[in-house]
Amino acid sequence: MSDIYIQAKLQRQGFTLDIDLSVPARGVTAILGPSGSGKTTLLRLLAGLEKPQQGVISHSGKTWVDSETHTFISPQKRKVGVVFQDYALFEHMTVENNIGFGLPADQRSQAVPIWLDKLKIRELAQRYPHQLSGGQRQRVALARALITEPELLLLDEPFSAMDSHLKKNLREQLLEVVAQLQQPVVLVTHDLNEARYLADTIAVMINGSIHRIDKCSNVFKEPETLEVARVTGWHNFLPITVIQAHKVSSAWGDVELSYEPSIDTDWLAIRPEHIRINTQQANIEANVIRVTELDGIREMVCQLKDGTCLYLQVTWNELLPVPGSHIKLELPEQHIKPLQETVNALAHTSSIKQELKGGGRISKEQSCALVDRGKSIA
Amino acid sequence: MLTDPVVPIDLAPIWITLKVAALTVVILLILSMPLAWWLAYTRSRYKVVIESVTALPLVLPPTVLGFYLLLLLGPNGPLGQGWIALTGSPLAFSFSGLIVASCIYSLPFVVQPLQAAFESMDKRSVEAAWTLGASHIKTFLLVIIPQIRRGLLTAIVLGFAHTLGEFGVVLMVGGNIPGETQVVSIAIYELVEVLNYEAAHILSAGLLVFSFVVLFLVYGINRRWHSGSYA
Repeated sequence: MSDIYIQAKLQRQGFTLDIDLSVPARGVTAILGPSGSGKTTLLRLLAGLEKPQQGVISHSGKTWVDSETHTFISPQKRKVGVVFQDYALFEHMTVENNIGFGLPADQRSQAVPIWLDKLKIRELAQRYPHQLSGGQRQRVALARALITEPELLLLDEPFSAMDSHLKKNLREQLLEVVAQLQQPVVLVTHDLNEARYLADTIAVMINGSIHRIDKCSNVFKEPETLEVARVTGWHNFLPITVIQAHKVSSAWGDVELSYEPSIDTDWLAIRPEHIRINTQQANIEANVIRVTELDGIREMVCQLKDGTCLYLQVTWNELLPVPGSHIKLELPEQHIKPLQETVNALAHTSSIKQELKGGGRISKEQSCALVDRGKSIA
Repeated sequence: MLTDPVVPIDLAPIWITLKVAALTVVILLILSMPLAWWLAYTRSRYKVVIESVTALPLVLPPTVLGFYLLLLLGPNGPLGQGWIALTGSPLAFSFSGLIVASCIYSLPFVVQPLQAAFESMDKRSVEAAWTLGASHIKTFLLVIIPQIRRGLLTAIVLGFAHTLGEFGVVLMVGGNIPGETQVVSIAIYELVEVLNYEAAHILSAGLLVFSFVVLFLVYGINRRWHSGSYA
């Protein structure tokens, strides 16, 4: 059963947020999306720091917001712990006073030392935030949010202020704390690795709406749409204009498939490490544009006949072609992901798909509808 | 020619000046806090209008401001009429009128430092306090005030010092009634008029030293707050 439900609309300065999302009652849910997609606004709606113009937000059966009944529960009464981006610590208070801020005065002396120990920051109790490192500040912010025993924990880009070499270590530490929590956690991030590492469930947010929510591994392995694939780190996209029984193709060449491709297929995606060079099965012609070696990774950029660029990661024992040379590429079938353009395209074609299943033949009108989208069915 | 030095100096203007300045600052702080907060965070298109109106006393000649205030506070003005209906006494040429005029005259000197302080404050720490269950009052006292303390001190001092030195508006609205509306700056002007330079010297030097000491203390405190930690 979903524990947190949010269905909200918010329009502001040309940006529209239109959310319909159920967050699981346990575990970490990451809201993953590019900058400006409205992730932080969604978090602020949950915390009560923003009010939707229209919608309902509920948690464990309690209504926090209902625009129809004008219900709005203030952030003070929601029991939501928030770890803000850059942590928003009280700079004029010691670590001890920061952590104890949310508790009544008579409970502080007992509870604060417990949380100082839990997060291993006992020796920092009398310091001020400006005397702490990024990781230490994060621990203080976590302790401050968790000491009040919130029913929901919200994390807003918890590593955005850190160097990449620090992130890895701190991710481990955060995971250690979060894994012990009973309450659900919602994490907002634009960082794939952060989401992959910390989240059980991923909700992909693009342009103010949720495009996909599923288990972490499913979202990364089966992105389903072009937009979700882009957000989840896929780089290579090949447009599809012709769909045949066991083959998809376009001006760049074709790929044989052992299964019948869906007529909804608009693109093919493949990860850089899965493309093979000059094998016996290689049939797609390409020109090598650039070859680089960075951080132990050999990368190659190729251009296909239609101008599409593909990124390849090449293993160390493979012979590297020089820039300007002509090669052939193999896209192994098991690594190819067929994608639809958008969620809307999915809705648009689903009715046609249903009819196809029923009748088994495609009508002229239906065929035109597909050709209109720049695709033909042979 | 200097006048006889044994002529006693009337201390009433000093007392009236301090009373006007202190009361003005207190009233202005109460009014300016919400106004400065609004100006700092509003997205309203009327912000520019309100900001301009608030800053008017900075650029208007005191006599222009005083003239319109006199019309507003006078027995035929809307505010003056209301005041008479409420208290039975006129607002113009009274101590209360002096306070109203001073508040308007010194408004930008209190609002602007507060607005700047609110703007540079970490707004998310306020939101963090709310999510930790803190009421608005607790948040104001424990999270906002410590963050805006430099701006607050500047607002208090500038408001006080500016009211202390006002002349044109006070003369137009308060007149020059000894013991009621005669403040130090007007008393000095009058002493010079009657060529009592010695008494004018004493009052002027007193005002000068007082102003210097206050500013010196404020800049000193501000510097300490700025360079030092919260510890």
